[in-house]
Amino acid sequence: MHMADALIAPAVAGTMYLCSGGAMGYSVKKVRQSGEPEKIPVMGVMGAFVFAAQMINFTIPGTGSSGHLCGGMLLSAILGPEAGFLTMIGVLLIQALLFADGGVLALGANIWNMAFYGCFVGGGLIWKWMMKKGMSKKKIAVSSIVGCMLTLQLGAFSVTLETLFSGVTQLPFFVFLAAMQPIHLAIGLVEGLITAAVLVFIYEARPEMLWGYGVKESGTGKLSQKKTIAVLALSALVIGGAFSLAASAYPDGLEWSMEKAAGTTELETAGGIYDRAAGVQDAVALLPDYQFKGSESAAGTSVSGILGGVAVTAVCILGCYALKLFGKRKTADMKSEKGKEGHE
Amino acid sequence: MAEIEVSHLTFSYDGKRDVLSDMSFRIEEGETVGLIGANGTGKSTILKLLVGLLSGHQGSIQADGVEVEKKSLEEVRRKIGYVFQDSDSQLFLSTVYEDVAFGPRNYGYSKEEVERRVLRALKQVHMEEWKDRQIYRLSGGQKKLVSIATVLSMEPEILLFDEPSIALDPRNRKHLIHIIKEMKGLKIIASHDLDLILDTCPRTILIAGGHIIRDGNTKDILMNQKLLCENGLELPLSLGNMKTV
Amino acid sequence: MNKLQQAVAMLHEVDSEAGKRSSKSRIHPASRLFVCVLFILITVSFHKYNVMGLLSMWLYLLITGIWEELSFWKGLKRIRYILLLIVLLGTANLFFDRNVIFCLGSMHITGGMISMATLLIKGMLTVYAAYFLLMETGIEGICAALRTFGIPKGGVTVILLIYRYLILLLKEVQRMSQAYQLRAPGQKGIHIRTWGSFVGLLLLRTMERAGDIYGSMLLRGYQGEYRQQEVLGGRISRVLSGIYAAAWTLVLLFLRVFPVFQMVGNLLG
Repeated sequence: MHMADALIAPAVAGTMYLCSGGAMGYSVKKVRQSGEPEKIPVMGVMGAFVFAAQMINFTIPGTGSSGHLCGGMLLSAILGPEAGFLTMIGVLLIQALLFADGGVLALGANIWNMAFYGCFVGGGLIWKWMMKKGMSKKKIAVSSIVGCMLTLQLGAFSVTLETLFSGVTQLPFFVFLAAMQPIHLAIGLVEGLITAAVLVFIYEARPEMLWGYGVKESGTGKLSQKKTIAVLALSALVIGGAFSLAASAYPDGLEWSMEKAAGTTELETAGGIYDRAAGVQDAVALLPDYQFKGSESAAGTSVSGILGGVAVTAVCILGCYALKLFGKRKTADMKSEKGKEGHE
Repeated sequence: MAEIEVSHLTFSYDGKRDVLSDMSFRIEEGETVGLIGANGTGKSTILKLLVGLLSGHQGSIQADGVEVEKKSLEEVRRKIGYVFQDSDSQLFLSTVYEDVAFGPRNYGYSKEEVERRVLRALKQVHMEEWKDRQIYRLSGGQKKLVSIATVLSMEPEILLFDEPSIALDPRNRKHLIHIIKEMKGLKIIASHDLDLILDTCPRTILIAGGHIIRDGNTKDILMNQKLLCENGLELPLSLGNMKTV
Repeated sequence: MNKLQQAVAMLHEVDSEAGKRSSKSRIHPASRLFVCVLFILITVSFHKYNVMGLLSMWLYLLITGIWEELSFWKGLKRIRYILLLIVLLGTANLFFDRNVIFCLGSMHITGGMISMATLLIKGMLTVYAAYFLLMETGIEGICAALRTFGIPKGGVTVILLIYRYLILLLKEVQRMSQAYQLRAPGQKGIHIRTWGSFVGLLLLRTMERAGDIYGSMLLRGYQGEYRQQEVLGGRISRVLSGIYAAAWTLVLLFLRVFPVFQMVGNLLG
């Protein structure tokens, strides 16, 4: 479910960074307020644990395939949603950098799709609500499975939306959705079962390690069922709203900002400044987009482009090596001079 | 004057079964004392109580005349260095230098002073050439030496070692013994590596069942095969050999 | 358990490569991170039919790769992880965008073909950029950069700790899996009956270790804040870092705005 940089448009990536950044700010504040300095090392080591544990193959009985652990849900069930979320950010960041699992630009989206839903919906809402009146093996199993399935569905839905709003695929929305959701329902079930097995084991061995153990809220808890549903619905609305806003304002790959700077956009018809910009564009032919439209010249410009590309590349390579050689000589000279001074 | 005074110390993890009961001993400045006993007799527990990593004990623990309690922890911890059994738990930063500098930096020393302390500590354990190494690329023996350096960089008056020779090969073990012998100050070494104790500690405290069974000259205790066997330990190899020779 | 071995190998590679460079580099990792993110941002902002413009972005990678002596080959290996995803989505474009844009001899080049090509190129460029950044600075460098950009200390410390204990836990999982496989020959993964205990036991040990780590931090004066040494001191490196970021910003924007390859090609031809 990791999104790659190539599959996300800057504006969508930026929106998702803002959403995830907001959740991060909130989490940092919450963790700080809780005043548990011992949380930091636990978060670090648990992040490494989830990272490693996600590489274990669990055989799914009756099929030939294998499943993996659901990090967000497991972390929240031990550290609480806020600390779990921050830990997941670290895990996703390192995954993106080390293993190209998701890109740097898409990190905000990946945090949202995987960590936010897993920790805040799975841990913060479902787990918290289920454990409100005390823990039991059954409750742990049910909330793990329901939590994983639901959060994966939300994640997959977000991936679909983000990809479509980025305009990188011509795949119709419902085709994409019909492919994404059922697959992730199955994955969610398996992840849920694995997560449930681990958490039940912990409950039997060291129940006090689980988040919310022994904290029975008296009377009506902070989150009633109605409120839970309301929060879920509201977050869905906000996300949907943010997306459609971004998408309707900046259609077609959302490449507006750069194009505006370049003075060429498909919004020339808007008149005024755009007309003038279009005039400039015609004069210097800044972007080859438009040249593609005349199919005859397109092949021609491609040839000249390739020629130019090879030439520039060659110059760059030669330039780099020349500079490097020069640099090395200079330091070598300096060293030998220093050596001389030393001898004198 | 760095000394340790423990009197009538009783401790329990769960409130039901006492791990340590009514234990008293005193260690003078400059002494090196071995703390021996079978697995699970509470050796590590004593060390952790001394630095306040565990709390909720009865009786009194004094380090350098200061009672170990919540409000004195900072003062006590400046005086006492603790070398963990598992070096990987002790070394949590990326490079040797960074990790050794962690303590001095936390105490707010200047950059120059931090550097002086780090280099000095690394020199003491003969690891100064490795200062830029990634921690995880070190061997088990090197990690142990760096763990000791992280403690030495804070220049403590008292040093506690929890199973320092565990998982070390013979050569590294020998090197470690050499380094421990070089170090000054009060040292307590908790271990069931009796050869190590024999080599480094003139005095030994044998514990079992939460009590001090014997406190005295190391050789006397370690040569007493009957006493050791009764308490789940065996004669040190070197002494066993001596006998047969 | 191939994935585990790969992960361990990757960690070793990053540490040795980044270790070689970051000590002699005078450019602050924050500068490098900024340029890398800008590069990715500009790369993905190219229009889906603008192949030539997109290709000119490769100059950044070329120069960085040669200058820092980075392996293009090793970077290529990382592409395969995302290739599948891109091909999956890109293939759809082949079917849904069949407008002929131009003809190459008798071959009709459709919009779908071009947009799939740009998608692949974008994938390559962005993955390479992130790979090069990591090789230049290492995770520690990236954490220093994040601090510069105002990410809270606690968060950065968590990332550093994850990184520090990652290899330890990967190796532990590897050992456990090997021990399991030796006693359960023919099984591809972990059997359902041992799901809970296999991971659960590792989790318990991990939490115990976390307790020890916290103890070790406390004993060395930790009071909830990790005082890391700030990476940069010298004025020269500050100036160099500034120049580095400014120069690359200009170059990248220039490449985005002007069809450099075509302009040079026109001059030559």
